[in-house]
Amino acid sequence: MATQQPLTNPSPLLIPCSYLTTEGNKTGSWRFLRPKYEEKTSPCSAACPAGEDIGRVEMLTAQGSFKEAWETILLENPFPGVCGRVCYHPCEQQCNRREFDEPVAIHILERFLADTASRYELKPSLQKLESKRQKIAVVGSGPSGLAAGYFLTLLGYQADVFEALPEPGGVLRWGIPLYRLPLSILNQEIAQIRELGVQIHCGKSISQELLRGGKSEYDAIFLGCGHSRSLPLKIPGEDLDGVKNGLQFLTKIRRGEVADLEGTAAVIGGGNTAVDTARSAARLGAKVILIYRRRRQDMPAFAEEVEMALEEGVELWELQAPVKIAAQDGDFVVTLRHMQVVEKNRQKRARIKPDSNKKKEIRVQHLFKAIGGEASEPWYDPPKKKRGMLRLSDCVLLHKSREPTLVYGGDLVADIKSVAHAVASGKQAAIALDILFNEGLDAVRPKLQTCLVGDGPSISLETYMSGPRSLRNHRVVRYHDLNTDYFQFAPMITQPRLLREERFQSFAEINLKIGASLAIREAERCFNCGLCNQCDNCQLFCPEIAVTRDNNPRGRHINYDYCKGCGLCVVECPRNAMILEEELLCDRS
Amino acid sequence: MQLDNLNPEHMCSGHVGCPGCGAAIAMRFVLKALGDKTMMVIPACCWSIIAGSYPQSALKIPVLHTAFETGGAAASGVRAAQDIKGDTETTVVTWAGDGGTFDIGFQALSGAVERNENFIYFCYDNEAYMNTGVQRSSSTPYGAWTTTTPGQHWKKLRKKNIVEVLVAHRIPYAATASIAFPEDLMAKVEKAKSMTGSRFIHIFSSCPTGWGMPSEMSIKIARMAVQTTIFPLYEVEDGLRYTINYTPKGYLVNEYFRLQGRFKHLTEEDLDSIQEMVDEDWNLLLRKAGISLETS
Ligand SMILES: Cc1cc2nc3c(=O)[nH]c(=O)nc-3n(C[C@H](O)[C@H](O)[C@H](O)COP(=O)(O)OP(=O)(O)OC[C@H]3O[C@@H](n4cnc5c(N)ncnc54)[C@H](O)[C@@H]3O)c2cc1C
Ligand SMILES: Cc1ncc(C[n+]2csc(CCOP(=O)(O)OP(=O)(O)O)c2C)c(N)n1
Ligand code: SF4
Ligand code: SF4
Ligand code: SF4
Ligand SMILES: [Mg+2]
Repeated sequence: MATQQPLTNPSPLLIPCSYLTTEGNKTGSWRFLRPKYEEKTSPCSAACPAGEDIGRVEMLTAQGSFKEAWETILLENPFPGVCGRVCYHPCEQQCNRREFDEPVAIHILERFLADTASRYELKPSLQKLESKRQKIAVVGSGPSGLAAGYFLTLLGYQADVFEALPEPGGVLRWGIPLYRLPLSILNQEIAQIRELGVQIHCGKSISQELLRGGKSEYDAIFLGCGHSRSLPLKIPGEDLDGVKNGLQFLTKIRRGEVADLEGTAAVIGGGNTAVDTARSAARLGAKVILIYRRRRQDMPAFAEEVEMALEEGVELWELQAPVKIAAQDGDFVVTLRHMQVVEKNRQKRARIKPDSNKKKEIRVQHLFKAIGGEASEPWYDPPKKKRGMLRLSDCVLLHKSREPTLVYGGDLVADIKSVAHAVASGKQAAIALDILFNEGLDAVRPKLQTCLVGDGPSISLETYMSGPRSLRNHRVVRYHDLNTDYFQFAPMITQPRLLREERFQSFAEINLKIGASLAIREAERCFNCGLCNQCDNCQLFCPEIAVTRDNNPRGRHINYDYCKGCGLCVVECPRNAMILEEELLCDRS
Repeated sequence: MQLDNLNPEHMCSGHVGCPGCGAAIAMRFVLKALGDKTMMVIPACCWSIIAGSYPQSALKIPVLHTAFETGGAAASGVRAAQDIKGDTETTVVTWAGDGGTFDIGFQALSGAVERNENFIYFCYDNEAYMNTGVQRSSSTPYGAWTTTTPGQHWKKLRKKNIVEVLVAHRIPYAATASIAFPEDLMAKVEKAKSMTGSRFIHIFSSCPTGWGMPSEMSIKIARMAVQTTIFPLYEVEDGLRYTINYTPKGYLVNEYFRLQGRFKHLTEEDLDSIQEMVDEDWNLLLRKAGISLETS
């Protein structure tokens, strides 16, 4: 029997000892499904008329990269400060987070980014394409005209914007009241557009001659003249002395030409002009009654504005159609006919008819007509049908061989009249002209199709310029595509506001600023639908250690030598930034 | 996932686990937390195969493959050998399946922890003898199909509560963990590693092959098991102090069962009675956690 060996010199063990790793087994050959990184489209961005890359904006905001987030908006919309304040934010309506708890406060964050940029006097670094020989004239400096000029300049064109009034901005300057949009914000964003190289010539009213000029120095003309003429009520007495026009009233306030109002004021209409007229009149001291033919839910004014108006004491009279206005001792007596709903259509406004002959009268000291507007010159509107005409979602293009191409945009052609749609119109016009100049009229529609955000109609300049966003799948990520196990309930931020009482003391902005930490917290609520935020779940859960971090912009890759195609990474990606496809034989090699 | 996931890997690609194997994920997480100063004993189980056949090894640490019933005993021996060599730094662990833990390796385990051997025993639980073709174990849950509980003879007995059995041994640390909660899992491994004496970690590890479910559902199912309190996450120190690590928000068991082929024969009434059992177990656990609150 052997003597005991010292421990430092044990006898060799008679058990086999492995000396190779398993890495020689290319277990990827088992795979019949292939996971892939593929970013998709967030529903908010597809719902944003300007097609802003919202999921990415919020991701950058959550990371504290405020400048990059702001620049990401600027690539699609030159007016984040304006839109963060006055846009009716259809994006939030489509936010996937709505199905989880509450939507992300996209507009509050948009405003925060613009305000932060302005506070630190940030200069955006935007890439302009190399200059082209074509020149474009833009008629009107409302949001559509300025956006057209801005996007054309980014695409390398020279754009001259002509504005009849002494200062640029259109409705943003002369219509929307200061309590919603302070002047400094507007001036700042217009200055930025100028700095990019857009020439804005104010006090220059353009006549129809410019359109005809066969020898025009311009290759194209964008018409963004807006709807500045008020529609008539078509009732007796509407032209009586002292009956005021809502839009003109708002313009006068912004010029500082309106004194306080005493007594009761009636505002006739249901659009944004009517609501802003009512709220402004209330600030000037009047007791205000808003008179509308249909119901509250049918009002074309944005719902939040209506709500705020009511909060501020404006009284809303629904289903009342004015039929006559008479003057009486300096007051006005308006005869109203009761209306009733004939047909309810959830998509459209309700149809109405008079409710027998029920009428009532109301006596007021001030009366404002504000039922909407139209083009102030017939030639602002696009012709009915013509050769070379292309009706696009947000503008109408009229191509002529010997004359400048015309593009009608903004309120002149919009179904929904909003600032974001005006921006969309300017963008679509700029891209359409670029395609027209490069590839001809027939290429415009198909090429625009390739830069849709989701199913459109909004389009992306970044996609058009082949930026990283162009690699995304157009498929819109829906709530059930997400893995919400990774998200926690958190209520939406509440917009801090001036107290009701404070609002009447001036036209000071109602909505107050939020701080960076609140903004980051709100941005963190965003699911970043369809976008990779580097959470690393795919790497973490892979049973094959087949996902490896690397230095490519995506941050990681899949090693198909070992990936067995289990699909775990795809399912555990919280935001649907991956897909699982059938493995094709050609992929194997 | 906010997690320091930068710890190096101690496991290799090219192993032969089934696609979506929960046990492979469990090993990956555990080794990340343990580090390479680890020696592992693996009694017969799926992982005997996944770790590679000679001359390959999928693990970058020393592994001793041992007989099915010896997980507790073999690790006790390795620990003793390391102690004799003066190596107190190396963590000795056992890595066994549920069959090797609840059933056949049970006496070796009970003996080792009764002696308070200084090691960590990991049981990765896939709720049956998977390596030999899905035979039922005492860990197989009520209601499950296996090849030895086929057709109408699905298992009509409860799953053994192994953690409570270990708690009864009054060991320093006993805990449950899940592959769907990597942060919690790795924290528990690190905590166990910092302690001495017998430590036991029971890891819920889904098995797409044996449970009849798509491989991509491994994590989702494991997460649902926790959310429904079918597999609560908790830890017990010194057999006395209970901490519940995750308080679920009232998920019902139905969906968990509906997603797995092994339960497809169950009727609504079966599921109702299972819900009752799950609620009863959860309330029992709450009471235990409550008792420890009162005494501490
Ligand atoms: C009171 C009011 C409140 C509103 N509130 C909101 C809101 O909260 N949110 C929102 O999204 N939208 C709002 N809107 C709608 C939004 O303002 C418009 O849809 C948008 O301004 C349209 O932009 P535009 O560029 O087409 O025209 P406009 O903004 O009307 O600009 C047209 C410009 O063209 C100039 N012009 C016209 N003819 C000529 C010419 N021949 N030569 C040179 N210049 C010319 C005009 O002077 C004007 O400056 C509101 C509108 C009004 C009236
Ligand atoms: C004494 C003995 N009996 C039976 C076997 C065959 N055998 C090897 S692995 C295994 C099943 C192991 O089940 P479990 O411990 O649950 O691990 P799993 O395979 O499920 O991962 C069996 C029965 C054996 N190796 N030794
Ligand atoms: S969660 Fe974020 S990305 Fe998704 S829809 Fe809402 S804002 Fe857009
Ligand atoms: S988790 Fe790993 S093995 Fe499974 S599909 Fe993804 S990369 Fe492939
Ligand atoms: S799991 Fe995370 S890191 Fe992986 S693709 Fe999805 S978002 Fe990106
Ligand atoms: Mg097992």
